[in-house]
Amino acid sequence: MSAHAATLGDGHAAPAEPHVSAYHKSLLRSPVFLGMVIFLGSEIMLFGSFFTAFFYIRFTHHPWPPPGIDVPAAPTSINTAILITSSFTMHWALISASRGKRFGLVFGLFLTLALGLTFLSLQIHEYVNLNFTPSTDAFGSGFFALTGLHGFHVFLGCTLLTIAFVRSCRGHYSPDDHLGLEVTGLYWHFVDVVWILLYTVVYLL
Amino acid sequence: MAAHAAELSGHEQAHGHPSGPKRSVWLRGSFVRAAWVTLLFGAVGALGTMAVRKYLFGYPAYSQGVVDTFTMALVGLGFTIGIGCWDYWWGYLIGSHHWEQEDHSSHGAYSWKDYFRVNTDHKVIGVQYVCTTFFFFLVGGALAEAIRAELASPGVQYFAPSTYNGLFSVHAALMIFLFVVPVFAGLGNYVIPLMIGAQDMAFPRLNALSFWMLPLGGIFMLSSFFVGPFDAGWTNYAPLAVHGPAGQIMWIMGVQFAGASSIATAVNFLVTIVTMRAPGMTFWRMPLLVWANLATSTLVVLGTPFIAGSQFLVLFDRLFPTHFFDPAGGGSVIVYQHIFWFYSHPAVYIMMLPGFGIISEVIAVHSRKPIFGYKLIAMSTIAIGVLGFTVWAHHMFVSGMAPWLRLPMMVTTMLIAIPTGIKIFSWVATMWDGVVHLTTPMLFACGFIFTFVIGGLSGVFLAVLPVDINVSDTYFVVAHIHYVLYGGSVFTIYAGIYHWFPKMTGKMYDEGLGKLHFWITFWAMNFTFMPMHWLGLQGMSRRVEDYPAQFGPVNFWISIWAFVLGASTLIFVYNMAYSWWKGEPAPANPWRALTLEWQVATPAPVFNFDEPPQVVGSPYAYGHPGARHAIVTVHEPEPEPAPVPAAVALAAPERREVVMSSFKHILVVANQTVGGERLIAAVKELAAGEPSRVTVICPQNDPSDAWVVNEQEVAAETRQRLAQTLEALREAGIEATGRVVDRDPYTAVLDVVESADPPSEIVISTLPQTRSGWLRRDLVERLRDRTGLPIQHIVVDVEPGRASRT
Repeated sequence: MSAHAATLGDGHAAPAEPHVSAYHKSLLRSPVFLGMVIFLGSEIMLFGSFFTAFFYIRFTHHPWPPPGIDVPAAPTSINTAILITSSFTMHWALISASRGKRFGLVFGLFLTLALGLTFLSLQIHEYVNLNFTPSTDAFGSGFFALTGLHGFHVFLGCTLLTIAFVRSCRGHYSPDDHLGLEVTGLYWHFVDVVWILLYTVVYLL
Repeated sequence: MAAHAAELSGHEQAHGHPSGPKRSVWLRGSFVRAAWVTLLFGAVGALGTMAVRKYLFGYPAYSQGVVDTFTMALVGLGFTIGIGCWDYWWGYLIGSHHWEQEDHSSHGAYSWKDYFRVNTDHKVIGVQYVCTTFFFFLVGGALAEAIRAELASPGVQYFAPSTYNGLFSVHAALMIFLFVVPVFAGLGNYVIPLMIGAQDMAFPRLNALSFWMLPLGGIFMLSSFFVGPFDAGWTNYAPLAVHGPAGQIMWIMGVQFAGASSIATAVNFLVTIVTMRAPGMTFWRMPLLVWANLATSTLVVLGTPFIAGSQFLVLFDRLFPTHFFDPAGGGSVIVYQHIFWFYSHPAVYIMMLPGFGIISEVIAVHSRKPIFGYKLIAMSTIAIGVLGFTVWAHHMFVSGMAPWLRLPMMVTTMLIAIPTGIKIFSWVATMWDGVVHLTTPMLFACGFIFTFVIGGLSGVFLAVLPVDINVSDTYFVVAHIHYVLYGGSVFTIYAGIYHWFPKMTGKMYDEGLGKLHFWITFWAMNFTFMPMHWLGLQGMSRRVEDYPAQFGPVNFWISIWAFVLGASTLIFVYNMAYSWWKGEPAPANPWRALTLEWQVATPAPVFNFDEPPQVVGSPYAYGHPGARHAIVTVHEPEPEPAPVPAAVALAAPERREVVMSSFKHILVVANQTVGGERLIAAVKELAAGEPSRVTVICPQNDPSDAWVVNEQEVAAETRQRLAQTLEALREAGIEATGRVVDRDPYTAVLDVVESADPPSEIVISTLPQTRSGWLRRDLVERLRDRTGLPIQHIVVDVEPGRASRT
């Protein structure tokens, strides 16, 4: 494929970019990017179904949260800060990639990955020390389902970040050609935004 | 790409299948590897889960639900890895070298075996989808026959009540998730990239993965019979689902795999339609099937996560257990239904919109008229998609949900009848005054309109709150769903399969058997499901094995016709299988359609188009003289020396040469006017004086003055006229041969001109200017420009032309 051949560059670029007729080139950045945007639409709806259950239970269930359940809102604000920071480091890595600055790219990805893993560890730590379980009450069910679903997405994001990190160390990205990185970044920002919403709804309200 | 494809096709001709690196059968992607990798992953899933439970958490090692769930998830992953869906991505991930150069070793079918391995060609995947889904259609149909056998008389005959519950649950689940939804993905897969002038889908490997996840879902659902069938109905309502037998988990995992497959395909369709349309293919020039798939894919992407979510929550309620649907723990039963129906009502349109698209194509092509209200049909498709998300609670009128939701849901539900009505009236208006060819696809399209209107109207009944409360959970609902899903979706699927069968297989199906199939299916379908309306109004409950004796005779009648309906499906299966194997070779464009998939060779080349086609107009300009949808450039293959027939070469090569050079070869092109006196006179005049041979070709066109065309009859008449012409010429001492050829006179003439025995002069005979379809399309001028041969144009008036038609 001509598009494929063009992106080969250093021999390690995007996988088999689909052929886009020149007529539609102006419409978007790339089919892969568009595909990720559409897929994230699907992800939003998956979180939406969990949020629907959570809200429904919340508004038919009094009092909220049920007595005897402590939601660790304050300690988790640290975790929230960690995840928000990781979005900025991700952005730094992306800008560095497009400007050809290798240090920022590699170090930015490393920081993002480290922050993501820290978030996951703190989340597990929180799970272990909570005074309720998924079986305690419908609130616990919703709490664990939402944070668990989000945690799974953070795990997937960390997997993508690991791939991107290894590839950036090997010098696979170039300023013109780092689509895999952009897609990973998009996914990571999505995970971050969902967390902000989730933290507000589940922990604060 | 084009250069690459051309080079590749040369390579293929020389060496057959382009081959990747060869590895042992145990290691390369195949069913052999799939078998051992699946077993390995299943074992790791089961033992690993038990080990984690025992040593990490200190629980008892075995817990049926948890171990089942993780085992099935890993079995699914193991199968897709083993069959080879992930090979390329894995190579990419570890930086292996062979992904750098795509060798297309898994693209295109060169023998039947290529249909049984991972293939990235959208056409192969389309066929794989259709065959797989029809397998599950037959299995689901067999389950339906089992249900009808049980219901043929009151009381409990053959099945224990729990098995009966499993029968109707698995029947519905297979028909919905393994047949209707994915068969449209299959037809779309084959047709959409061709229709929009693309070389493939945007993500061919994701496409392959989507397909291979699908059979897993079906196998999981079916194998639930071995562990205690899931018996909560396909809706899997929460309290039943949470406490049901072990088969529930198999259904949940089956739905997750089928749903993931569906979402991946929908993302693929959306990206393909947005980014890969050929130059000139604006949104308002897209065929309506493409519009329908655009809307459907959007519904899948936004809706399917909700059923995934609802089943995850049920799973959590079974495994941990959480309390989402357990009022004792603070949960709510109703919320399951809200989440479930928020997907499953749009799912009804996921199962119907692509069918609408197929009907728009079939009716326009077979009525030879532009589709009526193109933009309105496209916009009504979008409107149905949007409205579809606002009506979910009409399934819950009697569930005890918030009463204030009832009225708005009733109103939005009735609103959906408006865009649907727009479509129905547009199709009828398209047929009005068209030249309707009652081929099998067209028969199914007409049958669809008839039955779907009935199903749509009973849908409006059900939207009305008081009626719905009265007939909830009765056979009225069963009648409605089967009128819209069988009379609706399945009829459109049949129409689509018959319509695109020649392109997909390169063979023609048997028209007689196709019509037989239609008429039996049509009547049996109505006789089966129509009485159910009455049963429902009388209060017969659905999903119950036993029923009051007074309904016995009607149920017996229904069962008989249900068996006939099942038997009619076998005619279809036979017709498809036998025609694919030994059918007549199909021409490239048997329906003379304008859309792009018919402008390529049959069967379609591996990369569809040598160059991106240039789209210049509407896809539906049937009956407009000179109208074109697109310009397709085909790269001519390297000219090969024309083979000399062995017999001629051995017998008398010199004499043959003499014959060729000294005889004048006249090509006569005529359809309705063949046999006309003026034509015969003109040929005689032209042939007089020197030794001549005459070839008469009859591009069998439609009579321009007919409304409904019976193909066989027209063909027989044409052959008769042709025979008369040859007879008349022979009487005049002119050597003449003749044949009925492909419909398009332009290509038919070019075929002869470019053959080994080209004519030296051409005679074209037509009706007068006002009545001739050929003249409207500038046939004579175009052929003069193209061939450079002397062309004589003879106008034959209808009456002398028709005189010999007796």
